[in-house]
Amino acid sequence: MTLLQLTEVTGGYTRKPVIKDLTFSIGQGELVGLIGLNGAGKSTTIKHIIGTLLPQNGEIRLNGVTLNEDMEKYRSSFSYIPETPVLYDELTLKEHLELTAMAYGIDQHTLKSRSEDLLKEFRMERRLNWFPSHFSKGMRQKVMIMCAFLVNPPLYIIDEPFVGLDPLGIQSLLDQMDDKKKDGASILMSTHILSTAEKHCDRIILLHEGRVRAQGTMNDLRKAFNMPNATLDDLYIAMTKEQDHE
Amino acid sequence: MNNLNEVWSKRFTHYMNEVQKYMRFVFTGHLAIVLVFVIGAVGYQYSEWLKVVNASFPAEWIIALIIGFILAFSRPVTLLREPDQVYLLPLESKMSLYFKKALTWTFWSQIGLVSIVYIVAIPLLNTVTELSSAQIWTVLIIIILLKYLNVQIEFHYRYANRGHNIGVDKITRAVLSILTVQSILTARFSFVILFIVLLLIYDWALVRRVKEQPIPYEHFVKLEQNRMMGFYRFANYFTDVPHLRGSIRRRSWLNFVYSIVPYSQKSTQNYLVYRTFIRTDDHFYLWVRLTAISSIVVLLVNIPIVTWIVVAALSFATTIQLKYALLSSGDFRMDRLYPVVKSQRKQAVQKVLRLFMVIQAIIVTLCAVGQPLFFVLAIILIVISEVTFMMTKDPSEDN
Repeated sequence: MTLLQLTEVTGGYTRKPVIKDLTFSIGQGELVGLIGLNGAGKSTTIKHIIGTLLPQNGEIRLNGVTLNEDMEKYRSSFSYIPETPVLYDELTLKEHLELTAMAYGIDQHTLKSRSEDLLKEFRMERRLNWFPSHFSKGMRQKVMIMCAFLVNPPLYIIDEPFVGLDPLGIQSLLDQMDDKKKDGASILMSTHILSTAEKHCDRIILLHEGRVRAQGTMNDLRKAFNMPNATLDDLYIAMTKEQDHE
Repeated sequence: MNNLNEVWSKRFTHYMNEVQKYMRFVFTGHLAIVLVFVIGAVGYQYSEWLKVVNASFPAEWIIALIIGFILAFSRPVTLLREPDQVYLLPLESKMSLYFKKALTWTFWSQIGLVSIVYIVAIPLLNTVTELSSAQIWTVLIIIILLKYLNVQIEFHYRYANRGHNIGVDKITRAVLSILTVQSILTARFSFVILFIVLLLIYDWALVRRVKEQPIPYEHFVKLEQNRMMGFYRFANYFTDVPHLRGSIRRRSWLNFVYSIVPYSQKSTQNYLVYRTFIRTDDHFYLWVRLTAISSIVVLLVNIPIVTWIVVAALSFATTIQLKYALLSSGDFRMDRLYPVVKSQRKQAVQKVLRLFMVIQAIIVTLCAVGQPLFFVLAIILIVISEVTFMMTKDPSEDN
């Protein structure tokens, strides 16, 4: 079943589009990697999906609705982990979790049990009453991750999740992602850590200059580039060279 | 050589533009009006007091103390920036030229305050002392000389010690400056010369240590950043200074306020806005300050129509500034993605403002108890605040 469907989406910050005619979909329980060079349009794509940018053309359908049709359903259907942590300086870690739970209509009992698990997993139990100004970059990232997983939505949108996390944090995040997948949730993840993407993603979307260059499983991509036995690193570099030739 | 001159004059132009840009708002803001009232009132009181002041009043010591303390605060304005520690490094030996300009500016920009304070004190000196007018103006010249020495010494001290224990230096200079001013006001010139010589020796000792050291860029850059930050904070009371992040304080004694917000999806923005308002210094102190000014005016002035106007103006100022501060949407925040209706934010801001304006009304009214028609103040304050909130535009609808 398709959870997220982008149909010929064109858009950007100004009238000059950054992404052009993007069409791809994410099915239920799928982990999809969004891969591309700097400036290929990964973050712009994500901003369109989360609704902070509106497409100039095309349609984005999540859980059966567009943002315009049913804002509440659309927004409750995903949680988002941005590339750079966005925290409220004036809220403690505990309050970040509480605010998120309130916003997504999670009852207090569920909030308590879910946040206990997450705090333990990410080793943040003792920082509950801290303000973000006392957190390191990695800890800030962990707050964002915990808030996202607290919501337990059908779709997770994760932008460059591994930057700034320590190896234990990365492992915890991957474990969480696996757990959620088993429960039937879908994940869209943009990253530059290709070995991890290759190992964990069910499908990969290669973005190039705002267009989908290729998409599918690793085998599909190898066929598309005509490079049997290639790793994702090899394919990525091949794509880079392609760009140089142009 | 010309290079550094250019660097200084470019920085200086930029700095002056920046200061002018924001000072415009300061002088057209509500505080300027309040200030005019306050200066008028204080001036009047001062002139009344001069008529009855006792001849035994220790004017010399008090003036010396005030002037001495002001002189001790002679922070150098260097306009250095962070990249300078890398880019200006090769010019280390020529930097004295740059600092000379910086100190000249520091001296001229700070001379005003201490001169004005002294000039304001002249009528007092005329009343309680027997100084001739020539003597009185000589004192001003000595004060200006002292200012020059203080600027030089503070800079050399900071340079030589990288800012460590600056308090010791300030106290030393304050004591010597106070003694100098006191001595000249009591016409003991040998002491004046003694204290000035002591200051010169102090400076000379520091200059010798300065020559052995590299420029403490880190300290001076930090000093500049703090100074500009202070200026932007100040300007932020009057207008919106972009990219200014206010500091946060927990203020746990106000935690009980949060319990009025129930746990439900409908109260999401209430949960957030109460905390944002109470814990952000800029927002909270703005309310405290305007409430305090309003209360003080009501306490001191007994003419109903004047208090009504002032209270109404300050109610307007509090409401509109807090509305803008809490509703304008600059950077991306996670609550933009929350599945709650957008109008919730505005309703939450209105709720928080209403609560704190009622508190302002209670405080102001309590300060006016006993005056005729004092309860009218509360009505005016609340009505103006509500009307202001309703009639002004919503800054979050701009984009």
